[in-house]
Amino acid sequence: MRAIDHHAWTNRWRDWHPLEKGLPALGLLMLVLILPPLTTAPLVLAGALLTTVYGAGIPWKTLLSVLAAPVTFLLAGIPFLAISIDFTSGFALTFSPEGFQLALQTVIRALAAMSCLAFLILTMPLTDGVLLLRRIGVPAGIIELILLIYRLIFVFAERALTGRQAQAGRLGYSRLDRSVRSLGLLGGNLFQRALEQARRLETGLMARGYTGELRVLSPPRKLSWRRLAVSIAGVSLIGLASGGLTHGLS
Amino acid sequence: MHITEGFLPPLHAALWTAVSLPFVAVSAYRVNRLMREQPEIKLLLAASGAFAFVISALKLPSVTGSCSHATGTGLGAILFGPSVMALLGTIVLAFQALLLAHGGITTLGANVFSMAIVGPWVAYAVLRSAQSLQAPLALSVFLAAMLGGWATYLMTAGQLALAFPDPTSGIAGSFLKFAGVFAPTQLPLAVIEGLLTVVIVNFLREYSSDELQNLNFLPKTLVSEARP
Repeated sequence: MRAIDHHAWTNRWRDWHPLEKGLPALGLLMLVLILPPLTTAPLVLAGALLTTVYGAGIPWKTLLSVLAAPVTFLLAGIPFLAISIDFTSGFALTFSPEGFQLALQTVIRALAAMSCLAFLILTMPLTDGVLLLRRIGVPAGIIELILLIYRLIFVFAERALTGRQAQAGRLGYSRLDRSVRSLGLLGGNLFQRALEQARRLETGLMARGYTGELRVLSPPRKLSWRRLAVSIAGVSLIGLASGGLTHGLS
Repeated sequence: MHITEGFLPPLHAALWTAVSLPFVAVSAYRVNRLMREQPEIKLLLAASGAFAFVISALKLPSVTGSCSHATGTGLGAILFGPSVMALLGTIVLAFQALLLAHGGITTLGANVFSMAIVGPWVAYAVLRSAQSLQAPLALSVFLAAMLGGWATYLMTAGQLALAFPDPTSGIAGSFLKFAGVFAPTQLPLAVIEGLLTVVIVNFLREYSSDELQNLNFLPKTLVSEARP
C-alpha cells in the first residue's frame, strides 16, 4: 500500500493533469476488453509496462509486485476454465480444448488489464483522480467523504500495525484461537479510536467555524493538449496495430 | 474474494456495473442528505470507512495457509445497516483497487454487487431475523457475519459461472467448479470472520456503549441492553 502511494506521489509524471494519464490508461483498458485478447493484450501489456517504467520512471520491481497481486486468484480460477464437468454419464472431469483457449485468453486479458491499472495507480496521486469525479457530477459532500477516508486510512494503518506488533510481541498470534481473539480486540480498539478521532476532528472543526464544507487547496494541474494528443495517438496506434494483426492472422 | 481486473468479459463487467449503480446511487443520495442534516456524520462515516479498509487489509490467520483477508462486510452491515454500506463499501473497494491493486476498475461493479450489496443485505436480514427469534446476541452476530460471508462467496462464484459457462454442462457445471475451488479458503474464512465479528461487537458493547448509543442509525437491539 505504501509503495503504490509513494510512487504515485513521487514519479516523474506526478504533476501532469490527471486526464493525461487517466485517458490513455482507460483507453488501453477498453481496447483490451473489446478487441480479441490474443492479439491485442500482448501489445497493450508491452505498451503499458514500457510507459510505466521508461516514461514515469517506476522501478520494475515495484511494477511487477503490483502485477503479481491477482496471481493467486488467477492460479485458482484459471485451470478450472480448461477442465469441463460432464453430468450426463455420472460425473466426469474432462480436458476441453475450447476451455483451454478461453483460459489462455482470460489470463492474458487479465494481465494486460492489470498493467493498465498498475500504470494508472502508480502514476496518478489518488486525490487527483478523485477530483475528476467532481466533473462527472458526484456531489461535493461525497467527494469530501472520499478524501477524508483517504487521509484517515494512513492514520489508522499506522495504529493497526503498531497494535499488531505489540500483540505479536506478547504471543498474541501464536495459535489460531489467540489470533482470532487478538485480531478481534485490535479491531474493536481501532473502531473505538476511530470514533474518538471523528469526535475530536468534529470538535476541532466546529471551533474553526465548520458548517459542513471543508475547503482545501488543490494544486493547479494544467492540461497539456500536446501530451494528451501524444497519448491518444499512442493508444490509437496500439488499437490499429492489433486490429491489423487480427486481420492479418485470420 | 475480489474478481481481478480484466477477468470478466466486457459485457459482464458492464452488466454488473449497471446492476450495482442504482443501489450505490440511492445509498449516496441518502448518505449525502444525512450528512447535510448532521455535518458530524461525515466525520463518523469517514472514520468508519477508513476503519473498514484497514481491517480488510490486515491478514487473517488462515487454516489453509493461504493469505486471506476479512471483508468487514458483516460488521459494517451490523453497525450501519445495508443502505449506508452500499456507498461505504463501494468507496472501500475502489480504494482497495487503487491502493492495493486488489480487484479492479472494470470489475468494480461485480465486486460491489457481491461484497457491498448482497453480503451486507444477507448479514442484516440474518441479524434481524435471529434477533426476532430471540437468539442470543453473540449467536445472531456470528450467524450474520458468517452467512453474509458465505453469500458473498456464492455470489462471486455465480458471477464467474455466468461469465464462463462450462462447454458441456453449462452454467450449473461451472458454478460447481468455481464454488468448489474457492470453498477450502472461503468457507472457513467466513467462520473465522464470524468469530472475529463477535469479539469486536462484544468489545464495543463493553467499552464504548456510549459511542454506540450516539450512532442513531444503529439497530437499537445492539445497545439497549449494553448499559448495566
